[in-house]
Amino acid sequence: MNLRTAALLGLLALGTALLPLLGSPYVIGVAFNLMMWIALVQSWSMLSATTGYVSLGHVAFVGIGAYVFVLSMDFLPLPLGLGLAALSAGFFALVIGLPVLRVRGPYFVILTFGLSELVRNIVLRIESALGSFGRMIFDAPDPGVLLWWMLALAIAATVVAHKIRDARLGRGLAALREDEVAAETVGVAVARLKLIAWVASAVIPGAVGALLLLRTGYFEPGQAFDPIISFSIVTMALVGGTEDARGPILGAAAFVLLSELLWSNLPQLYMIVLGVSLIVFILFLPRGLIGLFGRARRAAR
Amino acid sequence: MPGAATFPKGPLQMDIILSGQLLFSALVSGALYALVALGLNLVYGTLRLLNIAHGELVMIGAYTAFWMMTLFAVPPLISLPLAALLCAGLGWLLYFGIFRRLLRNPDLAARVEANSLILFYGISVILQNTTALMFTSSARGYAYLGNVITVGEVSMTGNRLLSLGVAGTLTIGMLLFLRFHIFGWSLRAVIERKEAARVVGVNVDQVQVITICAGFAVAGVAGVLVSMTEQITPFMGFPFTITAFVVIIVGGLGNIPSGILAGFALGFVETYGIALTSASYRSILIYGLFVTVLLIRPEGLFSRAVKS
Repeated sequence: MNLRTAALLGLLALGTALLPLLGSPYVIGVAFNLMMWIALVQSWSMLSATTGYVSLGHVAFVGIGAYVFVLSMDFLPLPLGLGLAALSAGFFALVIGLPVLRVRGPYFVILTFGLSELVRNIVLRIESALGSFGRMIFDAPDPGVLLWWMLALAIAATVVAHKIRDARLGRGLAALREDEVAAETVGVAVARLKLIAWVASAVIPGAVGALLLLRTGYFEPGQAFDPIISFSIVTMALVGGTEDARGPILGAAAFVLLSELLWSNLPQLYMIVLGVSLIVFILFLPRGLIGLFGRARRAAR
Repeated sequence: MPGAATFPKGPLQMDIILSGQLLFSALVSGALYALVALGLNLVYGTLRLLNIAHGELVMIGAYTAFWMMTLFAVPPLISLPLAALLCAGLGWLLYFGIFRRLLRNPDLAARVEANSLILFYGISVILQNTTALMFTSSARGYAYLGNVITVGEVSMTGNRLLSLGVAGTLTIGMLLFLRFHIFGWSLRAVIERKEAARVVGVNVDQVQVITICAGFAVAGVAGVLVSMTEQITPFMGFPFTITAFVVIIVGGLGNIPSGILAGFALGFVETYGIALTSASYRSILIYGLFVTVLLIRPEGLFSRAVKS
């Protein structure tokens, strides 16, 4: 990332931070959604964009964060609860990481999906055994404050994802995408690198889950673990492109805009546009919007 | 879920577990699962495409039967070939419109599984929502052969018996076809070693088109069967996709006979598992099995992996 891009992103972050001053709940809501998706897609890209281990189960981390957070609200102050949510998601990733990351290719994709559905059904079962059918959240912070927290997560995710691409970790991950066995032979600690990237990509989604819960004010497992979230993350990453840190931001922005335009009036049309754009991007623009911009710039020269 | 019987709660007795009633339930679900999974497995085996829109084909078959019955009083048995044709046509369109491009572009084909999964996700979202726009999201159903037939101590409805008959005949017929017909041999050759099959003169392109059409058609047929006993909605397909994936993962991706065996096995595990615990454990049971098999033996419990 060059200096100009960094400055531009900094300005955007500053602008977002000032939005609550406008006092419009609608603007704050849209900005909150945008920051949430940026945080999620950047986190996802830490493992999945660099290694080709495509996770289709990231909602599990969001849901676990939300669940731990709602349970901790009785005895922990909010900031500690947020930290606990992030740590729990990371811890869960660590525990399942070793067996899960041994599974490759298409099996990994469906395994992560299956895992997230398994966790969802277990939480549903626990909650109904406890006789709880949804939990309400009281005294959530002001939406403007929530936006600041989510902005902080989006910035953190963007910076970490960027650092991972540049650092030795990223080089190792890229090597194992090309040929895992060869990378291991020349001394890349494949298993450890994958595990680090996997845990890193889980932590921020855990905190996102907690913030989302404060925003909606209601915990219901079916909603907190909705697989549409996992699919949306992958869609945004593909449409934006994941070559550098700007891609996920573009992808998230495109879909938040689209959903603002269509979701409330024509939800089915929104889903159809989403489906069509997925197909078009995979077939014709596999490098995403960011690749498209790069090509346009080269053509202009 | 289709075919899953409900039983009175309370202390379970051995005679319930050993009853023919439970066996019949397990067979009905098993045959349906085997049929749905068969189509998915054919498409994965020959084309390496992970079709998560497979359940939507079941949905299209179900809607075909529903409208034929409601508008023209055409019974589901007559709708079977129609649904098959409709889904096969869709397969043909998608193959030439989308997937041939994917398979021929070396960059895209290098990660064909992940890319096809996303493409099919797009297709599934389009099919679901177009159906919802056209016919609304409300659940629909019709009555057909709901009469109870009692044989010995087993009571069964005509529609479930018919479903078992059609699904069983089709899966066994397909197995025999793959085993004995020359086209079946080419198909198995493409599944096992695509390049080698090409070298010995198998028309791989042709086998792929026919397989995708056949795989889609089978799912449409399954949809007609489901519509006889279940309510249908535009979003009914997803559980079938999941069940079909569980089946072909357990059987081994691309291994047709093991997949059919695994379909019946899942029907039994589900029916007896629910009878022993309760219906609310169904999803945990299914996903638990799915995740366990993937973690322990991703190449499938019953078989060696197909080389990709």
